[in-house]
Amino acid sequence: MPEARLQKPSPFLLLAAFGSGALLSLMILCNATVTAHTNGHFSSLAAHGSGMLAALIVLAALPAARRSWRGGAPLWAFSGGLMGAVTVALGTVAVNSPLALSGMIALGLLGQVVYSLLADRFGWFGLPKRRPDGRDALVVGLILAGCLLIVWGGAA
Amino acid sequence: MSLMIFFALLAGVLVGSSRSVNGRLALTTSALMASFWNHAVGFGALVLAGLAGFSLWPEGVGAIPLWAWVGGPLGVVFIASGSWLVARLGAVVTAMMVIAGQMVSGVVIDLIRGLPGSGMMRLAGVLLIIAGMVIAQGRKR
Repeated sequence: MPEARLQKPSPFLLLAAFGSGALLSLMILCNATVTAHTNGHFSSLAAHGSGMLAALIVLAALPAARRSWRGGAPLWAFSGGLMGAVTVALGTVAVNSPLALSGMIALGLLGQVVYSLLADRFGWFGLPKRRPDGRDALVVGLILAGCLLIVWGGAA
Repeated sequence: MSLMIFFALLAGVLVGSSRSVNGRLALTTSALMASFWNHAVGFGALVLAGLAGFSLWPEGVGAIPLWAWVGGPLGVVFIASGSWLVARLGAVVTAMMVIAGQMVSGVVIDLIRGLPGSGMMRLAGVLLIIAGMVIAQGRKR
């Protein structure tokens, strides 16, 4: 297996991740519209089905994009889709509870932060190990504070 | 209520762990291949869940506007990029930057749609997020 190595967080990499977050907003807008016409299960089903077909078409058209179908990866490496489907279901339940959207967002962010700090520290799932430092703490603190202001500002 | 708190926290953990797992798969296949498997496995699970009680073709499918179907392909790009980035930036920085992009674009979308809210709090939030991004950029590796 190729050794994964962390790179310096160049503006390109950071903006790529930022852009994918913006894409996520558009995706949620689309999927919420499908949910409004049908239900949460169908919305997730349709997004996964149409996504699967779109990915298959590009993989068939671009040999360079496929490299290997299985890559000798262990079975657990194919479980990302299960986790994603469960995430959508949990989110749907939590957002309709007394937590409401802002509470769910805040707790979801907390879950992501705790998970990712531990995952980096111990190199979980075969990804590069890296001890989070004071700079990470500052980045996490600033971005979380910004998120909470936006979530509460929207609710005001 | 405490079950709901657990669900919301678990959802956050699963967002992170699915990105890691897909990132691992992308290491020996490709980012697009990892995204394909993510969608195929999720689709299979949702079809099974459908057979267990949900309709696979509920009422109202015909009324869905055409643009809303773009959500699936957007998800492919989202999962592929996350799988590629997490092995290069690490889990913390990837998560923080994706969240930053989601929040800032969410503010822009809300403004375009004319949703109510505090302009000053949102502006302050966006500025804090940008500051966090600038600081992240100073890391050596």
